[in-house]
Amino acid sequence: MTKIHADIDALTELRAALTRFRYAQREVTEHGGDAIEVTRASLEAKASRWRARLEQGQAELAACRDRAVAADQDGPVDCSGYARAVGEADERLEHIRHWQQRIDQQVMEFAGAASRFKNLLETDLPRAEEQLAAIIASLHATRRVPPPGS
Amino acid sequence: MYPTSPEPARPDRDGDQQLRLLDDAWEKAAPSWQDDIARQFGTHHWMPLRDESRLYLEALRAMMDLLDAAERDTE
Repeated sequence: MTKIHADIDALTELRAALTRFRYAQREVTEHGGDAIEVTRASLEAKASRWRARLEQGQAELAACRDRAVAADQDGPVDCSGYARAVGEADERLEHIRHWQQRIDQQVMEFAGAASRFKNLLETDLPRAEEQLAAIIASLHATRRVPPPGS
Repeated sequence: MYPTSPEPARPDRDGDQQLRLLDDAWEKAAPSWQDDIARQFGTHHWMPLRDESRLYLEALRAMMDLLDAAERDTE
């Protein structure tokens, strides 16, 4: 293989690599967005479950306290188990909300980089590929090297 | 014993791999392409592409790390 062919081959391979990169990174950005939505949905489902447990626990605790008031003369009614369950559900729910807020904050920071990168993939990268194609065509023409397949 | 399900693919790692492949293609082309057009291409296309890709992939990695941590910590 002559040096001229090697030059053109390397540039042709670079151009092909740029095109592959554009398509592959487009998928990467889509998968990144999907992962964010999956985690957000997962956290919301967990929050929903703990909200339901909290509401149930609060209702059971209220009923227990009513029983305690009604049974005041007959002896103490222990509602501490219900109170602990409410406390745990409240804590777990707050913990999930904390993560949801952290993710919302990070998504806002990430959006800038993601937007610039998508713009690069959609606009700048095709221009680079076009310029490289023109350079390769010019090399073929000026050096009288037939394009591949001719 | 049941086989464990594979770890879900992380898009930031896929992106890193793609950038390495592109870097390899540039490293193969660059030594035999040293004229003014090559320098212009490097300045106006290659370096911005590489730098912006790295910035995005670092941001994506941080995002994916946070998502993984959120899932683990709320089990």
